[in-house]
Amino acid sequence: MAFSFYHGAVQALCLLICAPLIAGIVNKTKAFLQKRQGASIFQEYFDLWKWWRKPVFVTKYTSWVFLAAPIVYLVTSIMAAMMLPGLLQGNIRFGDAFVFVYVLALGRFFMTLGSLDSATAFGGMGGSREIYISVLVEPAVMLAVLLNASRYGSTMLSQMVIDYNAFYFTVPAVLGSVAFFLVMLAENSRLPVDNPDTHLELTMIHECMTLEYSGRLLSYIHLGSMLKMLSFFVLFGALYLPLPLPMVVKVLMTALLVGLVEILNNKMRLFKVRVYLAAAVIMLAVAIIAQ
Amino acid sequence: MADWSLKVVKPENFRGTANILSNGGKNPLTAMFGRDETENPDVKGYAIYAVFENLSEHKMEAVKAVFGEGESLCYESLTSVIPAAVWYEREIQDMFGIVPQNHPDPRPLVLHDTFPEGFYPLRKTVDRDADVHGTRRMDMSVAKGEGVYEVPVGPIHAGIIEPGHFRFSQAGESMLQLDARLFYTHRGLEKIMEGKTPEEVLPIVERICGACSIANTWSFCQAVEKIAGVKIPRRAEIIRTLLMEIERITNHVGDLGNIPAGVGFNPAISLGGRTKEMLMRLQERIAGNRFLRGVIVPGGVRQDIDSALLNDIADIMDKTKANVSDLSEMFAQQANFQNRVRTTGVVRKNTAVDLAMVGVGARASGFAHDSRKDFAYGLYPELDFKLVTEKTGDVAARLALRIAELKESFALVQQLCNLLKADKSNESSNLTVQIDWSTVSGEDWGLSESARGSNFQFVALQDGKIDRIFVRSASYPNWPAVTIAVQGDIIPDFPLINKSFELCYACIDR
Repeated sequence: MAFSFYHGAVQALCLLICAPLIAGIVNKTKAFLQKRQGASIFQEYFDLWKWWRKPVFVTKYTSWVFLAAPIVYLVTSIMAAMMLPGLLQGNIRFGDAFVFVYVLALGRFFMTLGSLDSATAFGGMGGSREIYISVLVEPAVMLAVLLNASRYGSTMLSQMVIDYNAFYFTVPAVLGSVAFFLVMLAENSRLPVDNPDTHLELTMIHECMTLEYSGRLLSYIHLGSMLKMLSFFVLFGALYLPLPLPMVVKVLMTALLVGLVEILNNKMRLFKVRVYLAAAVIMLAVAIIAQ
Repeated sequence: MADWSLKVVKPENFRGTANILSNGGKNPLTAMFGRDETENPDVKGYAIYAVFENLSEHKMEAVKAVFGEGESLCYESLTSVIPAAVWYEREIQDMFGIVPQNHPDPRPLVLHDTFPEGFYPLRKTVDRDADVHGTRRMDMSVAKGEGVYEVPVGPIHAGIIEPGHFRFSQAGESMLQLDARLFYTHRGLEKIMEGKTPEEVLPIVERICGACSIANTWSFCQAVEKIAGVKIPRRAEIIRTLLMEIERITNHVGDLGNIPAGVGFNPAISLGGRTKEMLMRLQERIAGNRFLRGVIVPGGVRQDIDSALLNDIADIMDKTKANVSDLSEMFAQQANFQNRVRTTGVVRKNTAVDLAMVGVGARASGFAHDSRKDFAYGLYPELDFKLVTEKTGDVAARLALRIAELKESFALVQQLCNLLKADKSNESSNLTVQIDWSTVSGEDWGLSESARGSNFQFVALQDGKIDRIFVRSASYPNWPAVTIAVQGDIIPDFPLINKSFELCYACIDR
């Protein structure tokens, strides 16, 4: 166990270091597809460094929750990253899929509390939308877990990726991959569910919750978000991209794909998100039945 | 004689006369403004004007109420019979202290709560450099009820845009009511232009707004040229009309690139932005600056457009045409985008007529209101173009209308370029009529159709000096419509709805 934990920590650290780069690659892809030059792929590191150095402003009307939320969010993202399968194959023997999902849910729960704590209109709006999306995302993620659990007879993430390098092409696998991709976009506040680069304060979801944060606390949130996105990319590569390729290639492919999908789509109406996620749920249900 | 039929009445008859001129709402209210004539020995008091467009007879009709010396400065509000008067009456109250009685919404409009009570800046007794501080009561209008909460937005926004404060009354995500507090950067332009000659104020007029400097300047020049009784050379008219259409194309293209930003549709944003930049560089080649300033002057135009420049224009227009058709295809093929814009932000035709909306906002709701057709000015009577309207009044209609109008404008530019080529009076010296302002007195109006709608100006000259200038840009009558368009939609749709009108803050912060 101790051995396994050590590997997990190393893995999470590596992912933490790479996460801003992957986010930068997604942004660069989007810029390239718009015929723009775009910011450097290392821009996210500069931004994090900028926020890290800046002072934190906190209104006197907030409680400790406001200060704790970004840290909890970052820590839960790191915990989730530790459980990921497929990178240090065979060395990580902890990390149940349910734990993975609900550790992330804990982080989101604290972010929502933090957004409500400052009692601004935007924080509340963002929090309520985030919960609305997460309530819809949760069944889809659970079904995605069950799909793999029924295939491999275990809910342990490490057990699910025994043959992740094998090439297989079945109806449940394809449906599962497409559905998980849709869920991944929703979970990580990407288009068409949320617009990660918008500054239209009335339409955004995740960014709405972070409006009151500044300085170092903001850098925690952004780093947590980027790490969470990379974790999902890895999970997608490990469980839903059954190609005999190294994980690095799979993650890069996923990043390019996300950039492409974001360019091809615009943000959907807020209340249409349920239709979008219902489609993912139905696909997963069909996949489970077919399996 | 001014170019309108003017009735001068007593204040108690103002509302009745205005009601007759509005002809049951058929004749839209163009503008209402006050004037200080205390220094005029014939009047010795204040006056308010209400100007109506008689759309069937293509002429302006105005009524003027005169408040003589010692008379009380109040009159019966027009707003209950002419809803379009709502903002004008509040502005006149702020600027002159002329009180509309029984006004449904008598809050201050232009001068916010940092100004003292009883300060009326457009009165001649007030020094234009007056440094005033104080407070006055200025509440936001909000809905109340269980579970209804307020979302304050602005005046400082996340993007680089002008200041405006929006107060949403929300039930969940649905917008129950929206109150907009604008006029944050009131510049006092009308005040500082008083006492100057038309040539002196020209640079100010050009800078009322960055997006429609041609429209504003043209309206101003029309007004002063009418007062001076000058007819400008034909070639100058062609150039003015051509510049107006280029400005319209630039603005419409910019809007086509800006509306998708409300929904994060990135390829369209980029293409629109690129095309607009190309057009702004064309404008720089024409005028030496990116905003077409400095070309139109009272009496004509300052510079010619030669055949080399005409070729440039034709070249850029071809590229723009191709990009616009790409853009409209992009919009049509993106189902998700169509889903966002259709049925969002609806302004019904009744609302458009009642609020005397202008330009894109009016025509997208089926209100055929275009000063290029309604009033013969420039070269428009000779040109062949259609007045386009849409029916649904939603964001999709305003978008489609801009695309359709662009097609008309491309054809207009083509026609105007041909006219310029055919015109052999190619003498630069012949492009302006010299006017000796020192003896010119009188009052008149000018009107030109900017990309957002008609820009109206009223100018009164006294011995060649401006006694009163009133600027009403297209955004002014359309802003109240935005607050109506959002009702029933959800708050994440507001940026999209707001962008679909693309109204200007600077135009009303004059």
